Amino acid sequence: MNFPSIDFSWFGNGSVIALIAIIHVVISHGVAIGTIALMVTMEYRAHRTKNLALDALAKKIAKWVLIITTTMGAMTGVGIWFSTTVIQPDSIGALLRIFFWAWVAEWIVFITEVVLLILYYYTWDKWQDGRAKARHIKLGIVLAFASWMTMAIITGVLAAKLTPGLWVETHAFWNAFINPTYLPSLGFRMFLAILLAIALLSFFIRWRVKDVALRQEVFHVFGLWGAISLPAVFVLGLWYLWSIPTDAYDMIVWSTGMPENVFKTLNGIAFAILIIYLIWMIVKPKAVPWILSLIVMGSSVAFIGEFEVVRESIRKPFIIYDYMYANGLLEENREKYDEEGFLKHATWAKEREITEDNVVDAGREVFIGQCITCHTVDGWRSKRSLTNRMDGWTEDDMTSFIPTMHNVRVAMPPFMGTDEELEALAAYLSTEINGKRTNKKEVSQQ
Amino acid sequence: MIVASISPDNVLPIPAPIGLLEVLIVITFLLHIIFVNFTISLTAGAVGLETFGIIKKNRKYDNMAKIASYHASIHKSIAVVLGVGPLLMISVIYTQYFYSSTILIGKAWLSVLILLIVAFLMLYVYKFTWERWQHKKGLHLFFGIGAMAILFFVPLIFIVNVVSMLYPEQWATANGFFHSLFHYPQIWQRYLHFMLASIATGGFYFFIFYSFKKRKHVLQEDEVSLKRNGAKVGFWVTVVQLVAGFLLLFSFKPEIRMLYMGEDLLLTTLLILSIMFTLILCALLYKASEQDSGKSFLLALATFVMILGIMGWMRHELRESYLQPYLEDNPRTEHTTQNNNK
Repeated sequence: MNFPSIDFSWFGNGSVIALIAIIHVVISHGVAIGTIALMVTMEYRAHRTKNLALDALAKKIAKWVLIITTTMGAMTGVGIWFSTTVIQPDSIGALLRIFFWAWVAEWIVFITEVVLLILYYYTWDKWQDGRAKARHIKLGIVLAFASWMTMAIITGVLAAKLTPGLWVETHAFWNAFINPTYLPSLGFRMFLAILLAIALLSFFIRWRVKDVALRQEVFHVFGLWGAISLPAVFVLGLWYLWSIPTDAYDMIVWSTGMPENVFKTLNGIAFAILIIYLIWMIVKPKAVPWILSLIVMGSSVAFIGEFEVVRESIRKPFIIYDYMYANGLLEENREKYDEEGFLKHATWAKEREITEDNVVDAGREVFIGQCITCHTVDGWRSKRSLTNRMDGWTEDDMTSFIPTMHNVRVAMPPFMGTDEELEALAAYLSTEINGKRTNKKEVSQQ
Repeated sequence: MIVASISPDNVLPIPAPIGLLEVLIVITFLLHIIFVNFTISLTAGAVGLETFGIIKKNRKYDNMAKIASYHASIHKSIAVVLGVGPLLMISVIYTQYFYSSTILIGKAWLSVLILLIVAFLMLYVYKFTWERWQHKKGLHLFFGIGAMAILFFVPLIFIVNVVSMLYPEQWATANGFFHSLFHYPQIWQRYLHFMLASIATGGFYFFIFYSFKKRKHVLQEDEVSLKRNGAKVGFWVTVVQLVAGFLLLFSFKPEIRMLYMGEDLLLTTLLILSIMFTLILCALLYKASEQDSGKSFLLALATFVMILGIMGWMRHELRESYLQPYLEDNPRTEHTTQNNNK
């Protein structure tokens, strides 16, 4: 508790970050990276085949890319940062210091990308003939490269949270950035971005473009990109899975909240549908069923959500592997807190010392300091709600379980603090959950 | 009761010499804020001109408004991306202060995301429906006014944050964003200073933009109007700004205000220079608004950049002065050459 805390008591602090992040990933991958690659390819093909209708469609797509990325895309990107600052300040604070120069580079590329996108859209009509058109397409290619670069940089940061590799010992920037999952996750993400863009765009094309010949042309472009991306995603995905820590690998199914057979069936079906869809697009581009395009769009967005939730969850109990726990506490401080007390070192705790009168209040401070990043007292997600998880527990049940819970529940960080702090936490939780104290000693004294 | 809850700094070292980061924060902030100024004032300008055009039944104002909305929607995208830089710098240099001040208004801070997404989408509707909704002016204006209202409000959230980080001893008694608006000193003076600067900058923007354009193209009637009226707006608002600037100066703690009024040589010099340059700029703008000469626009531009630079520098020094006592008591984890070599 180096900082004040915030409580989205019903929605959950973790859910706030997740919601913003998932919207951002759908837009940054599907629209900014994937769609830009498809759009520039469409423009190129239109130029080669002198297809004015295809050119006009590519321009229309450019307009939507501009509108979506400069509003929802940019703001949710900043939003991940805003929300982590508010909810996980220690974690984002550490990441900013580790990756400062990567973020500076990211910022410069980001500005470049936006300026190029503005130029690309607003010069479309002006740079229409002959050499000007060739120049416009080149501009598009540079734009696509810039948008890919933003991913190439930020993936270093994201991958390091799961596999910081040698950084944990050396604290050196390049050890953190070029970490064991950097390349596989970058490769996986870039082709995933293309597939997501195909899934998103093809639904709108199928729905809005009435000209069948034009649709055929577009699906031809998508089919080509899909034929490259789908096998690439599969192979790179396996490499990615192979390079994450075993403990994390074992948590994948668990983190989705699904039983293993449901997980496998759902993901298998979704993958099969995508294969069928792409084959259909290549073989019979005139007759792609709209219902299939809708299903593919829906399942792709759902997959992105699943991927992000899994990626964030399998790091547990850590937020930066082997360094910082999900609640922002450093692994190296564990002994210190156990001996000297957690509250004593919690700058923002309202109660720094436990007395007979403030036990419940002090317990709330421990809860805020160690639990609230992921848990709620009674929020909508039943797995995170302690009223649900600890229904019927007495304080004694809690005090005997909590010190060892990280052994049983591998996603949980260890409790850090003195016995008095543990008892205070149990007193607070019992008051919230049971509406009263349930410590035998306390109750018998009353 | 907590006197001032300042946490120990993050154990990981600040990744570069603080002096370098201080230079970067001033430069990146100025780049960001100038585009924010453009966005706010050009949106307001578009709404104002469109309304004026409806009242006067004069298409000329409508055309001018359309140009302003077009420019506003481009600058808003650049303003957002440029903002990432200074946010990065302030987070790294002032972690102990900025994070706390941010979390204390956490929900308002997150509302910035929704507010700006809505404002920006409204701006796009406003721009892209300009011709199509020529006969639905009420609906069209609704989108412009909506975007403008949000853009006028959002700076308050940022101002509360950067002011509150200067007053750690008042954190314990603050209670959320709306309470903070009146809890901390300086806020409304800063807001006034900022909004006037925005409007003046917007006027100045058109003056400079069309002065440049005039060198290669013959300007159309609307463009000439925008250029001259831009200079006029720039002039009058800057005159008012001279007063607003002093209101802000007098909202500082006396011991800090005195630094600018003789006790500190650097700060006093900067303040005097900024006033002198502002007077020069006013004179240049006045001349440009009276007659369409525009010969001295490069001089005006240079003066403007000087003022901007000095303002940004003074703004940074102000924060340093306020935080000085806290920085001494709560040392930062500074960059060392040992880290550098790794």
